[in-house]
Amino acid sequence: MVEYKPQYYPGGSNVSANRRKYIDPNYKLRKLRTISDDDLVRLMGHRVPGEAYKSVHPPLEELGEPACPIRELVEPTPGAKAGDRIRYIQFTDSVYFAPLTPYMRAWMGHMRYRGVDIGVLSGRVPLEARERDLEKVAKELVETEIFDPARVGIRGATVHGHALRLDENGLMFDALRRFQYDKNKGEVVYVKDQVGVPLDRPIYVGKPAPEEELRKITSQFRVDGEAFRNDKELIQFVQRIHMLRTEAGFDPNRVKEI
Amino acid sequence: MPKYPDKVNLYDDRGKLFDTNVPVEALSPLKNTAIQKIISYVKQCVAVNLEGVEKALDTGEVGGKWCIIRGRSLKLDLVKNAGSVADSLKKCLQVDPDDDTEVKVLKGGKHLLVKVPAKRLNAGVEYTTGATAVAAALCCTIIENFNVNIWDADLIHAAVWGRYPQTMEMLGGNVSSLLAVPQQNEGMGYALRNIPCAHIALIAKKNAMNAAALSAILEQTAMFEMGDAIGSFERLHLLGLAYQGLNADNIVYDLVKENAKTGTLGDVVISTVKRALSDGVIKPLKKTPAGYTLYTTSDLNKWNAYAAAGLLAGTMITCGSARSMQHAPSVFIYFNDLLERETGLPGVDFGRVTGTGVEMSFFSHSIYGGGNPAVFHGNHIVTRHSKGFTIPCVAAAVALDAGTTIYTPERISGVVGEVLSEVPELRESLRYVNEAAVSIKGGV
Repeated sequence: MVEYKPQYYPGGSNVSANRRKYIDPNYKLRKLRTISDDDLVRLMGHRVPGEAYKSVHPPLEELGEPACPIRELVEPTPGAKAGDRIRYIQFTDSVYFAPLTPYMRAWMGHMRYRGVDIGVLSGRVPLEARERDLEKVAKELVETEIFDPARVGIRGATVHGHALRLDENGLMFDALRRFQYDKNKGEVVYVKDQVGVPLDRPIYVGKPAPEEELRKITSQFRVDGEAFRNDKELIQFVQRIHMLRTEAGFDPNRVKEI
Repeated sequence: MPKYPDKVNLYDDRGKLFDTNVPVEALSPLKNTAIQKIISYVKQCVAVNLEGVEKALDTGEVGGKWCIIRGRSLKLDLVKNAGSVADSLKKCLQVDPDDDTEVKVLKGGKHLLVKVPAKRLNAGVEYTTGATAVAAALCCTIIENFNVNIWDADLIHAAVWGRYPQTMEMLGGNVSSLLAVPQQNEGMGYALRNIPCAHIALIAKKNAMNAAALSAILEQTAMFEMGDAIGSFERLHLLGLAYQGLNADNIVYDLVKENAKTGTLGDVVISTVKRALSDGVIKPLKKTPAGYTLYTTSDLNKWNAYAAAGLLAGTMITCGSARSMQHAPSVFIYFNDLLERETGLPGVDFGRVTGTGVEMSFFSHSIYGGGNPAVFHGNHIVTRHSKGFTIPCVAAAVALDAGTTIYTPERISGVVGEVLSEVPELRESLRYVNEAAVSIKGGV
């Protein structure tokens, strides 16, 4: 067999290389901040810190599963085992050099995390999972380099803002004013949870990254940054997929060795 | 002499070798006798909710919910007398005394599983004969066995047939078939695709491999009826049915096993590419200046079949590890996206599964209404587009759900899924199709 090494993403630009890096599960995302478990729970707002997980069905052991070879093989996640509810965390990524694009969240998430349900929309990306599994995933998503406090928002509702101009402090627009810029500390602080319910105490999520740094780590193509059209390899790749899909739709037998 | 050179090894739902070197055409709906039997049973088998008829007569609630005719009520002990009702019903349906008519009493008389004789279906052109014959025969049987007078006979009709013919289908009726009425089919040849995944999962008793197999059999057989699996496209569908639905060469089972404990969807993508490479289905084409290897194939139909098997395995890993059906559409989009980005080759059904996933995500996540994956089928307006490669995965996902939805498959399916699970060929379709393939393999 030909030696095979997963390649994750094509393209010759720095943006493509960043995409490859984030999708590759062997790349450890740089941790930039620490958000306590309780604060993360408060930010998501599904339960009160310390409260037991609510369940949607009894634990699998009590439930007794039907005779199915796949259930016997596939190990359930801890949340599924316990019968947790399925909850979500949702992000809005600004078009102004946020580290991730919406699609990247899905590609990366499905490579790195097990048992997740990710949906991509233009202005928001929900990630759903069993509650205790979600908390584990959300921690990495909020604590590492892929979360910039100014250009990424944790927004369960009223997500509008990804394509709006940044404010005077470089923060993405948020109609619910969930996050603010603390000028004294130079940090972004959440005063409301992801759906806009006021928090009993603010949660600091750290300093926004400088513009140059964001341009370096972003996975977004922009004409005023790295333009998609300049990544010839990637364009050719996308055109190749388009061509193959079309040719195959006409006659799959004619698509050979191309 | 087979038309196509492909031979596959057959495995059961637990990855045990069943037979080797079976021509793929032995699995064709045009030749496999078990598939033909399954399709016949889908037309012939009808579920009767005898308890439902009894309740409807008792309360006067006929023709759908809240549709109560005040002052009209009949107290008939149908469930208690299910045995004699079944005997009379059988006699009424029989064409010849020893034909293939069957009436089975289930759940202490609450339900009946009725098999209408093939001769009745052969004498007509529409598959609705199954439901109409049973409904009409049941009315006659109840009227005769319980001595119902002319003034109450209309209530019997309404309790059995529901609001039909004021409605197109038997709304609120107590006789149901797997197949919807023809007017509800979205186009020509869609009948076998108009079966919600809830029914499939329950018929297979939530065995994900059998659910996927039955769903693939129905979907890919429909492809022949729709005019898709013919000419340049026949082999694409035959290989798809074999590798995705029927676990040919054990690919689905192997991929699941490899990623069962800790694997992600991305890991299944990588395992799929590895398998395709080691089996010689794909090979490197060239290296780009940035170091990315583009892959190519000389057999796109086989690559599609491998990708489709990987898609099902990816569904089983993602929905199986979360024990939740709602993840399915996300799998459909991103398995294919990642597979395309990994190889430079088109995803399952050349982009159509990806597109189906996008629509299904919206309509299965309360964004634009819709419902959970259990209500979807190949005739559904947002899941029609893939030619038989999406719905088997949805059926498997529904089978793997541990109870995360408000509307459970049991609630959506009602009586029909549970009753038809009594038919072995429908419940364990993989086994029967394998057996039939082996028995005809020499003569294909």
